[in-house]
Amino acid sequence: MSEPLPPLRPVKHQLASGLTVLTERDPDAQTLAMGFFVRTGARDELPAELGASHFLEHLMFKGSETVSAPDLNARLDALGGQANAFTSEEATVYHAASLPEQQHDLLSTLSVLLTPALRPEEVGTERGVILEEIEMYADQPDSRLMDLLHAEYWGQHPLGQLVLGTAQTVGDLTPDVLRRNFTARYGTPNITLVVCGQFDESSVLAAAEQVSADWPRTTFERALTPHTPTGGLSLTIDADLSRAQVALAAPGLDHADPLREAAHVLTEIIGGENGRLYWALIDTGLSDSADLSHAEYDGAGTFEGGFSCDPPRTQDVLDAYRAVLRDVQDNGVSETEVRRAARKIAVGAVLRGGTPQGRLFTLGMDYLARGELLSADESVQRYADVTPEQVRAVLERRPFDTLRVAALGPIEALS
Amino acid sequence: MPAHTHPLPNGLTLAFERRATPGFSFHLRVPLGSAHDPVGQEGTAGVVEEWLYKGAGQLSARQFQDALDDLGVRRGGGSDAEATFFSGSGLGADLGAALELFAELVRRPKLPDSELPVLLDLARQDLESLQDSPAERLGLAARQLVFGGSGYAHPGSGTPQGLSQITPASARAFWQRSGARGSILTVVADTEAQTIIGLVERLFGDWQPGDAQPVKPQPQLGGSAHLQGDSQQTHFTFTGRGVSPHSPDWFAWHLALTALSGGSASRLFHAVREERGLAYTVHAGPQVVGGEALLSGYAASTPQRAPETLDVMLSELRRWRQGLSQAEFGRAQNALMASTVFGSESIRSRSGGMARDLALFGRVREPGEMRAEIELLTLERVNAFLESYDPGPLGLVSLGPQPLSAPQTGSEAAHV
Repeated sequence: MSEPLPPLRPVKHQLASGLTVLTERDPDAQTLAMGFFVRTGARDELPAELGASHFLEHLMFKGSETVSAPDLNARLDALGGQANAFTSEEATVYHAASLPEQQHDLLSTLSVLLTPALRPEEVGTERGVILEEIEMYADQPDSRLMDLLHAEYWGQHPLGQLVLGTAQTVGDLTPDVLRRNFTARYGTPNITLVVCGQFDESSVLAAAEQVSADWPRTTFERALTPHTPTGGLSLTIDADLSRAQVALAAPGLDHADPLREAAHVLTEIIGGENGRLYWALIDTGLSDSADLSHAEYDGAGTFEGGFSCDPPRTQDVLDAYRAVLRDVQDNGVSETEVRRAARKIAVGAVLRGGTPQGRLFTLGMDYLARGELLSADESVQRYADVTPEQVRAVLERRPFDTLRVAALGPIEALS
Repeated sequence: MPAHTHPLPNGLTLAFERRATPGFSFHLRVPLGSAHDPVGQEGTAGVVEEWLYKGAGQLSARQFQDALDDLGVRRGGGSDAEATFFSGSGLGADLGAALELFAELVRRPKLPDSELPVLLDLARQDLESLQDSPAERLGLAARQLVFGGSGYAHPGSGTPQGLSQITPASARAFWQRSGARGSILTVVADTEAQTIIGLVERLFGDWQPGDAQPVKPQPQLGGSAHLQGDSQQTHFTFTGRGVSPHSPDWFAWHLALTALSGGSASRLFHAVREERGLAYTVHAGPQVVGGEALLSGYAASTPQRAPETLDVMLSELRRWRQGLSQAEFGRAQNALMASTVFGSESIRSRSGGMARDLALFGRVREPGEMRAEIELLTLERVNAFLESYDPGPLGLVSLGPQPLSAPQTGSEAAHV
C-alpha cells in the first residue's frame, strides 16, 4: 500500500459581494465540480405561490439579459453536459462539473444561471414543462403516496408544501410573482458557491468576486414555525392499482441535533439491506420492499419509511412493521448492530468522497444546513464514532410512539 | 496506471487497475441471465440470483450479511438478460476478505429448498408491481415487440406461468451451468497486480468452467402496439437499428446521438422541451442488448399533446440525419471526451465500466485511448455516417388513455 494521502481541508472565503465561497482543492483529482447552494426552497413559499422555488430553478436555465436560452444551453453542453439543478424543501442547488482546463468557462457559465432574465414568453413555455412533470409524478404511486403522507404529517406546516406545487398554483404563477420571489430569496448572503477538485483557487475567487459584484444583497430570514406531529392513519383506495403501498412518518431530529448521525445509524439498523425490517418483512416474503430513512430540516426532522405488498396482506405487514419499531424502541439495539451500521455508513461516506462531484454535495449541503465546514475525514469519523449510548438516547425520545400512516391501493380496510 | 488484464486457464478473465485510493471496488459478471431461462421456466435467473444469498459455504444467510457488514462492504448486483452481477466496495485492507465471501456465494451456495417458495412469491409480487408503473409496462411491451419469441422478451422476474414451473432441482441445475468460462472479474484498488492475481487464483483458480453460452438476440424492427391505461400521461417509446460496437462508426454514432439527445442544447431537448414545452422527459440513445445495438427513444406528454411530441421527435430524427453543424459537432465532441473522464472517475464506476468493456469489446478501453479516437472524428466523417445511417423502420409502443393517432403510428411516418 502507498502512503495515505494528506487529508484535504475545505476553506471558507467571504467575498466583498456578500457571497460565501467554500473551496476544497484536491491536487490529484482529474475534474472539478462547482455548485451554487441557495438556502431556499418550498418551505419558504407563500401558500398561494407553491412551486415558485422549483419554477425559478427551471427558469434559471433560460438565460440572462445578455445570454439567450439557446446560448446558455450550448455553453453548458460544451462543458461536457454535467450541469443540473434540484429544488428541495430547504435548498435549491445549481451544479456542474468539467475538466480542469475549463475552470474559467465553468464558473462564468454557471454564474449566468444566477442572473435570470425571467422573460414572460419563456415563463409560459416552461409552465407547460412543469405541468407535464407534475403529471409524470402523478403516474407514480410511490410519489402520490409521499405527497399524501407529507400533507397529513405536516398539516399546515410549511415543510408539508409540495416542491412542485399543484397544477393550480403553478398555473397562477406570474412573471412578477416569480421575480419577487427571486429578489427576496436570491441575495448573496443566502448563496454559497462550493468548488471541489482540481482548480486554481486564486483565479476562482477573483472570478467569483467579479461575477457576483452586482448581485442583489437582499437578506432572507426563514420563518421557523413550530410543528406538533400527531399520529393517525389514512387510506386512499385506488382499485386500479395492483399493489398496496404504505408510507409512515414519525418525529425525528433536526439539523442542529448532535445525535443526528446516531439517528442515521438507527435507520440503517432498522431499514438497511441487512436490517430488522428486511429479516421480518422481506426474507419472510410478506412484503417485496420495506425501508426506513431519516430526513433532517431546520427545526424539525422525520423518520420516514414504508413498504409495498399484496393488498390483502396490508394489515399483517403493517402490524409486523409496527412491531419491529416497537421492539427496537422497547428493547433497544445491540452493540454489534451499532458497530456494523456505523462502519457501513462511514465506509459509504469514504467512497462517496472519492470524486469532486461526490464531495461537492456533502460539503455544500452540510454547510447549508449547519454552517459547518467539515473535512471528508471528519464527516466519516462522525459516523464511525457513533456509540450504542447515542443510539439509545435517540430511542429514549420514543420517536415511534407518534406514527402517521398513509396507505394507497386496492385496500378494503386498515387500522 | 493502465488496467492489467489476466486471463485464468479456466476461462475467467481478471482485469485490475491500480489507483491511489483508500478503497477498493470489484465487479463480477457471470454470463448467465434471464435470456438463459429455460423455456417454460421464465424467471429462473432472477430467482436464483436471490437464492444465492440464502447461505453459502459455512455461513447462513444472516451470517453472510453480517460478515459483509463487519467489513463495512457496500454491495450491489442483480441480474439482467445477459448476466448475473455481484459487486462490492469498501476499504482497501478488506478486499481479500470481501472477495472471499463472494467467491463462496458464487461457488458454494447452499440453495436451500425451504427458501425457494418465498423467492418465487417475491418474483410474482415484483411482476404485479410492474403493472403499477406505466414506464415499466411500456418498456416491457417494447421488449416483447422487438425481441418477441426469444429469451430477451420477458422481464427478469419471469412470467407467472414460468415461475409456477420452477422447482429447486430445475433452479439448482440452472446455476450449475455457471462457471469461469466467460465470467469477468474486475478490481480497482491501491495494491500490486501480483497480489490481486494471487488472490484471485486462490479463490477462483479451480472454479469449474461451466457451460454458459451467449444467447443471440434477434431484434425485429418496425411494428407498433398500444397498451390501454388510465395514466395521466401518454408514454411512448420507439426502437430502431443501431450501430454495432465493433463497427468503425461506433464513436461517430455516439457523437451524433450526443448532438441529438445529449444535453440541453441537443436537438430533441431543444425542439420538444425548450421550444414547445411539450414534455418533461424526452430522450433517445443507444441500447446494447446481447451485443446488438439499438436506437431507442422515449417521451411522455399529457394525452392531447402526445401526438405533437411524437411528430416533433420523428421530424427531428429526419432532420438529424441531414447532418450536424460545426458548433453541434464541437459540443458533442467535448461532451463525449469529458464523459470518458467522468465515467471512470469513481472506483465503482471504473470497475463496472471495465467489466462492461470486457463483455462488449473483449478488452478494457483506457480513457486516454478513447479520447484519442474521439478526437480523430471530424464533422465530415460524422455527417457522412449520418447520411448512410438508416435506423428505420421504427417499432413504436405507446401506453395511455388513447392510442397515438393513426398517421403517427403508421409505418410510413415511423420511417425516419
